[in-house]
Amino acid sequence: MRIIALLGALALLVALPFFTTGYVVYLANLLLTFTVLCLGMHIVIGEAGQFSLAHAAFYGIGIYVAGISGTHFGTPFPVSMLLGGVAAALVGLVIGTVALRMRDIYLALATFAFGEAMQWVFLNWNAVTGGPNGLRIAPAQLFGLELVTDKHAYPFVVISAFIMLGLTILISRARIGRSFRALRESEVAAQAMGIPVQRAKLAAFGLSAFFAGVAGGMFTLFSTYIHPDSLGFSTTILVLTMVVVGGLGSIGGAVGGAIVFGLISELLRQAPSWQEIAYGTILVLFMMYAPKGLFAFLSDRMGRLRHG
Amino acid sequence: MTMTRRTLARAGLTTLASLGFAAFAASASAQEPGLTPTSIKIGMFAPLSGANMAYGFDVANAAKMYFDKINKEGGIHGRKIEVVLEDDRCNANDLVAAVKKLVEQDQVFLLNGGSCSAAVVAAKEYVVRSKVPLVMLNASGDGALYPPTDYIFGAFSISQYAVGGAMVDFAAKAFGAKKLAYINHDDAYGAWNLEGSKADAETLKVDLAVESVSPTINDVTAPFLKLRASNPDALLIVTYARPAALLIKKAAEMGFNKPIILSVTGTANLSQLTANVGGEAALKNFYVQDVLADLPGGPKIKWVYDMYKASYPDLAAKPDHPQSYMPYGIPSAMSIVKALQAAGPNPTREKVIEEMKKLNFDSGVMAGPVVFGPNERAANKATIFIKFDGKNQTLMPGVFTSRWKYKG
Repeated sequence: MRIIALLGALALLVALPFFTTGYVVYLANLLLTFTVLCLGMHIVIGEAGQFSLAHAAFYGIGIYVAGISGTHFGTPFPVSMLLGGVAAALVGLVIGTVALRMRDIYLALATFAFGEAMQWVFLNWNAVTGGPNGLRIAPAQLFGLELVTDKHAYPFVVISAFIMLGLTILISRARIGRSFRALRESEVAAQAMGIPVQRAKLAAFGLSAFFAGVAGGMFTLFSTYIHPDSLGFSTTILVLTMVVVGGLGSIGGAVGGAIVFGLISELLRQAPSWQEIAYGTILVLFMMYAPKGLFAFLSDRMGRLRHG
Repeated sequence: MTMTRRTLARAGLTTLASLGFAAFAASASAQEPGLTPTSIKIGMFAPLSGANMAYGFDVANAAKMYFDKINKEGGIHGRKIEVVLEDDRCNANDLVAAVKKLVEQDQVFLLNGGSCSAAVVAAKEYVVRSKVPLVMLNASGDGALYPPTDYIFGAFSISQYAVGGAMVDFAAKAFGAKKLAYINHDDAYGAWNLEGSKADAETLKVDLAVESVSPTINDVTAPFLKLRASNPDALLIVTYARPAALLIKKAAEMGFNKPIILSVTGTANLSQLTANVGGEAALKNFYVQDVLADLPGGPKIKWVYDMYKASYPDLAAKPDHPQSYMPYGIPSAMSIVKALQAAGPNPTREKVIEEMKKLNFDSGVMAGPVVFGPNERAANKATIFIKFDGKNQTLMPGVFTSRWKYKG
């Protein structure tokens, strides 16, 4: 059943640009980028159980670093994306070193403060980010091949998303993933088992920032402009909502939450007069009837059906 | 199971690789879309929901009612205007999605939208690459207008570059000011305002004492004291609502009795401003800039409000409608109609663009005429000023214009 669903999803992804307009492909590119953002959030919150409310800041660092390296230094886009990810990870590690001395709500507030500070930097570092004027990014390029349209960028966005998804699965199944989960369940028990708690926390923070930075790099594949307004707390909350609605602690939940919630948001754009009410109602219904997330809810229902 | 997964992964990657090459091979047809013998499809976008709805909801309604009026009069060369409306949520990603949907899915002839400058600039590259004319609604959108491109026209409300310059013009002419205290934001918008202001101050031989503050400032005492120490003839506040209210309140507390002149960006609601500054006492010598041709609802623009009531009786009956920026949608729609009429019975996007560049007319709605040119994409640089005492609004005589010009 799962294999058939995966095959169906893969066929849909492959066929998408052939039977849809650039608008739909743009949405697909954006949703896949948000999927990677959600995977990053999943690592730090879902796997390691650490609050991080600075995801939009790391995403922004990824966009600016990838965009600037491609625009000013002509780096091929895989290199730009990697640079974006590494830069975000380095900043994440530095901030993490300080922030991870705190716990729970204090950690959430510290990372929130960092996110707000970064948005201020994006908004006011005119020479680098263009400030409130925004930054124009040259189309991504590889060996002279320019990604000018959404359809050009799409295959590379899909491949990048799959690579990051594979990486998330690898991390989750590796020793480091197990230590993240031990940390999530009980910091004291994890320490008693010999897991270096601070180092594990830092790794989760750095990896999460790396994913957000790569997502920023993916954004530069199909977008040629970034404005700091898009990199505020609302973006972090959107990603957090996607992860929670999909199912906290589950990779499938992070992916599904990004896609389902992204699609709901876009569909609601067609109904402006009542979209806020609909959006809020959907969220409340999810929290009431599917608190473990959409995918846990669905598999629970299917299990019940199967077993009568 | 492992084999199945490997095979799946291999098949997936192979297909994705072939997809990459196939996508490059696809090319769009070059036909003129959105045009039939009986209709012209216009793609409109504005914030229709959320916190920023006030910036564009009624502006879009105003543009739509003007197109309806044209349709009732027979349309343009026999073609009726058909509007496809999208919500852009004042957000760059949503705005780009809306624009791409309108262009690629709805196949509109031209775009008429954008009420939020930061968001609309995000669509610039796509619009220029797609060669679709974009006539903004009420966004200043200077970032998309300068350097000028062939396809984007805007600033029907006013160019940010002209806001401060027109205030300098007013202060110099109305009060004979030679020294002005000028407070703006410490961001790019503030820098744009200041650039225009300096150009006007130089021409008018006025000295500017400048202080730049954060839009989120909480205490304005230090910048205010610095400005007061320069002994200015008037205080010009070129900020958003929050710093503006703090500065006016502080000026009253410190007994500042020279004229205080507030930019159009400083308030959208004068009653709210009165409450925020602590009452009428703070507004004894106070003037506020506006970009309309008359006081809101005044005789010169009453027809716009009457048309709104007739077109949207249910909305007009609600207390918050029409929203402040409603009339701004008219000159934008008028420009499109005039350009389409001038492009003749067989319009193309390129013909419409050429006609847009030649537009020079008085909309009767805004303070100054709509003027585009070979190198000019910002429609308006003129403003009026209103004396406001906390209760009554009195129109000051004259129209005040910035002399700033793009020198790219």
